[in-house]
Amino acid sequence: MSVVLGYVATLGVYFCIYNIFAFGLNIQFGYAGILDFTVITFMAIGGYIAGVAVLPPEQRGTEIFYVLGWNLPWPIALLLGMVAAGLLGFLIGLVALRRLRSDYLAIVTLASGTIVYDVINNYNKLFDGAAGLVGVPQPYTSVFGVNPNTYTWYFLAVSAVIMLVCWYVANRIYSSPLGRTMRAIREDMDVAEAFGKDAFRVRMLAMVIGCMFVGLGGVLTIAYVSALSPAGWTTGETFVIWAALIVGGKANNWGAVVGSFLVAVLFNEATRFLPAIPGSPNLVSDIRNMCIGGMVIVTLWFRPQGVVPERKARFPQLPVRGATTPVSVAVGATGGAGSAG
Amino acid sequence: MIAAGGNGRSPGARTLLSVEGLVRHFGGVRAVDGASFTIEEGTISALIGPNGSGKTTTVNLIAGALRPQAGRVAFDGVDIAGRLPHQVAGHRLIRTFQISREFAAMTVLENLMVSPLHQSGERLWNVLFRPGRYRAEERAHLEQALAVLDEFGLYAKRDDYAGNLSGGQKRLLELARAVMAEPRLLLLDEPMAGINPALTDRVAEHVLRLRDAGVTFLLVEHNLEIVERICDHVVVLALGSTLATGTMAELRQDEAVVRAYLTGGGA
Repeated sequence: MSVVLGYVATLGVYFCIYNIFAFGLNIQFGYAGILDFTVITFMAIGGYIAGVAVLPPEQRGTEIFYVLGWNLPWPIALLLGMVAAGLLGFLIGLVALRRLRSDYLAIVTLASGTIVYDVINNYNKLFDGAAGLVGVPQPYTSVFGVNPNTYTWYFLAVSAVIMLVCWYVANRIYSSPLGRTMRAIREDMDVAEAFGKDAFRVRMLAMVIGCMFVGLGGVLTIAYVSALSPAGWTTGETFVIWAALIVGGKANNWGAVVGSFLVAVLFNEATRFLPAIPGSPNLVSDIRNMCIGGMVIVTLWFRPQGVVPERKARFPQLPVRGATTPVSVAVGATGGAGSAG
Repeated sequence: MIAAGGNGRSPGARTLLSVEGLVRHFGGVRAVDGASFTIEEGTISALIGPNGSGKTTTVNLIAGALRPQAGRVAFDGVDIAGRLPHQVAGHRLIRTFQISREFAAMTVLENLMVSPLHQSGERLWNVLFRPGRYRAEERAHLEQALAVLDEFGLYAKRDDYAGNLSGGQKRLLELARAVMAEPRLLLLDEPMAGINPALTDRVAEHVLRLRDAGVTFLLVEHNLEIVERICDHVVVLALGSTLATGTMAELRQDEAVVRAYLTGGGA
């Protein structure tokens, strides 16, 4: 029984983490329209930096290399991980956001992510290359107890609290004038600029905040799994998060939650616990990816706005100041765009 | 039905915008080639000229969407040539686009709420830690937006997605949204393009009303009848430079202008 409960709790932890990823991507793509095709890179940076911050200094002669090794307590490592992910987002944003939009922007983010991946994978002095970090101490095991099943429940509680804070911040931004300006930039960047909005600043804000969210998710990942290697954050993982947001519904954080549950938890994580089929070791994971791909196609075909679409903005009802009788002349266009000047 | 325009009011009024020797070439095409003119505060000016005379490019150069290769654009005495679009807009010089470009997936009311310049609720720090700072401001903007929507006859449409409006309503929304930014100078790029005559009159009425409320206008317009009715001052561009300026009545007598319109300015 406790094994089943531990399994449910594990899924719960992944659910919380994927929610945080999806909120982060939602701020970037759903709010501000930034096509960030390297989401998972920021998760990795957040995780790695938090990992090397809590690990003890590397031991000479072990052939295990990593930077820092500061033995820091978890809360500080968590902040460092978030800041590192935000900083990387800022650097990529400097290249990608100044002049580029839509697909060109997507290509630059994908390329930047690939560069980061190859550097970390091949230069083993950073985070021990392809082997990755292992044995990262889990936070507060002495406080919560070392039994894996009960520990998972404590970890779930912690992740849930962090996820709720992220939920609150993401929604707070969405309903603020800042969020409105982000959405205006998503709709038409030139027009938003013609109304005095510094699109570069606002998109950079969305980029960095989103990266910090994703980085925070990465910190939780390495804290829970206590290991992270390049095999765990290939480009394909980015598109699991994208699939979650597209299926769930962009620009609505409920959509991010529903999508995380359907795509990331039900299909991606729960199926990892299925037994491998003898003779075809990759069959389960291949079927998993096919299911996720199929879900994206079905969503885009039948319900392109996602399961939970973006909600209409609501404003308090106010009487019109000095109201005149509304003019009810039929307003119609003769159609067609204007001639060129 | 429309108040007589072209009254050439307050001669010698303050110059709000002055453009001097503006140049922008695209490869071998001299889109704008030394255009110069001034706009007096509180007037409605028109920028007319044959197709390809550089009107829209001039608007883009003034509004910062393009960088001029030479020349000066002074707005209220400040040189704004080469500034970025959002910096130009920050001086309350607001432009609209030739085709309606509403924020389609946002409501009509939201489209207006985006407009006010320098909103304190656009600062992340205020959003996260001091929401009280912008709550009152937001309410004031909401009241203003509803009043503007009422003036433009769009009040009933306030909660519709802007993308679902008719072509004519989108034109009105463009103007309403620009008004919401409390502009000193409004650059309207063909505000009457593609709308029916009844609506053209309404747009013209709005422009006259706003002029009387203190907004200065520069219109790019092909409809010379409208120009004659509402504009105090007309600038004629041909081949990217200023061919003539004056009132429409004066320009009708100007042989060079008539020839430019018939021949595209080449003769």
